[in-house]
Amino acid sequence: MADLQEAKIVGTPALDGRYISEMDMWPLECQEFNRLYQFYDNLREGRFTTTKCKKCGHIAFPPGVICPRCWSEELEWVDLTQRAKVVTFTETQAGAPLGFPPPLILAWLNFGKDSPIKHLLVRIINCAEGELKEGDEVKLVVFEVPAHPIEVKRETKVCNRVYYAFEPVKSASM
Amino acid sequence: MAKKTNAVIVGGGVSKFGVRQAQIFDLFQEAAKACSDDIPALKPTDVDGLIVCTTMAGRHSSALNTAPLVAHRLGLKPTSICIRLDTLCAGSNSGIIVAKGLVESGIAEVVMVTGAEKVFMPQRWETNYTQLAVNDHDWDSAMGLGVPPPFFAMIAKMHMKRYGTTKEQMAHVSVANYNYGSTNPKAHFYPKTLSMEEALSARLIAEPFGLFDCCSLSDGGSAVIIASEERAEDLSDRPLVYIRGTGQHATHSMSAGWPGETLAEWPHLKRAAEVAYKNAQVSPKDIDVAQTHDCFSISEIVEVEELGFCKKGEGGAYVASGAINIDGERPINTDGGLLSHGHPFGASGARQSFELCKQLQGRAVNQVKGAKFALAHNLSGTCAQHTVVIYGTEPVE
Repeated sequence: MADLQEAKIVGTPALDGRYISEMDMWPLECQEFNRLYQFYDNLREGRFTTTKCKKCGHIAFPPGVICPRCWSEELEWVDLTQRAKVVTFTETQAGAPLGFPPPLILAWLNFGKDSPIKHLLVRIINCAEGELKEGDEVKLVVFEVPAHPIEVKRETKVCNRVYYAFEPVKSASM
Repeated sequence: MAKKTNAVIVGGGVSKFGVRQAQIFDLFQEAAKACSDDIPALKPTDVDGLIVCTTMAGRHSSALNTAPLVAHRLGLKPTSICIRLDTLCAGSNSGIIVAKGLVESGIAEVVMVTGAEKVFMPQRWETNYTQLAVNDHDWDSAMGLGVPPPFFAMIAKMHMKRYGTTKEQMAHVSVANYNYGSTNPKAHFYPKTLSMEEALSARLIAEPFGLFDCCSLSDGGSAVIIASEERAEDLSDRPLVYIRGTGQHATHSMSAGWPGETLAEWPHLKRAAEVAYKNAQVSPKDIDVAQTHDCFSISEIVEVEELGFCKKGEGGAYVASGAINIDGERPINTDGGLLSHGHPFGASGARQSFELCKQLQGRAVNQVKGAKFALAHNLSGTCAQHTVVIYGTEPVE
């Protein structure tokens, strides 16, 4: 087998360093590619939202463009609670996918009796390994993730993006 | 459409599973060759339908419209159906459900259901990165969900807390399945045997899982032939094995909508099993041998509960009692299961169903004496969906 150092051509030269959305770990969030762009615009304003059906009252998560209970298209954006309690969690040191530096902490959250969304499985950040305990309170945290280019006519436009996770309440106050 | 015949599983074949020096079509060809060795009378021209089950071929092999390519490589010229089907870990058992419907309605007569995955890439990072694409990309994968051990570790922690399940009980699953697999040259980890001591002292993967609690990803392929009972009698002299009943139930994605009270309850598996038992006109106590989706040791423990083989919460004690061993009341994963074979997603279901076919024909390596009813189960989409297929030596009346 040829020595990599001596190889004349390595990689995928045809792509010439281009962004490849099929390898992108984040959503395409912009209006040009996603009817749920409002969710991400709301995140930027610190709001954690989803769609509620105006006909049957069902609150779904993730949000959608129809109600998964009655298939109505008459939906409105509503705010969800941003605090929850950790039911159980796991900390991964080895084998986390690229882009998720260890420890990758995942937790199953309980949002309480009054929340229409009772449980979510989420990532916990801003938390050292060994710090999190069952029963701890966590809250929503929004952060910037890499932008991506899109072609608009002959121009290349840059779409900035955000995503969300949860973090321990006490570390945020320090 | 009225039922015109009964669908049977005629036979099948499995490629060597493991980190293979092979590309995806090599694996499909190896599986078909093994299937043809198992059914010597079968000719390519006998096969009128092809269902190709793969998840990663689109990304890892740049083969998006896979089915016609597989047909060409196998020398098949299907006339009734030629499709790719993807339900991730349940791929080829889902294909068997579809094939049963096609055969019993008269649309097809002889269908090959084949699954294969080329998981390992020139650089190891790409496999885990691709796993981010097999769940709900925008909502689950961007959370870092997609690589299974952390999720199933949470299930195990919760099952231990609620029902008192222990690491020793989980190790009983690993020991049983590795030792079954030590007799199966196609298994990734053949001829490895496993002791309780080795299982319990293995390096930690994700608390509470050691290495042998987790199945490996593997490259591999499998194939089975599903046919009408009339055509099956032309193709083979072996006893007929009927697909008596099936059930498949999907409830949510991954991060949201979990249907259970906690992660330790899998009501969606219970529901899929109820549908399959009803269609098959059997009850859990009738099942003589099963292949359940042992992606992790804890999975098999929850599965024996939700499939009704023991009471809810008693799965740990059930597996530790020896019930799943070859001399137990209901041997499970008698070919080694996912733990010993590794798990090429689309290939695992047909691998399981081929083992059950052999069990009901009385020719398995780890043969369960006098087995009449058998059950195959897959979970898929990181426990978002459950698939159950029940076989028997007699058709449903």
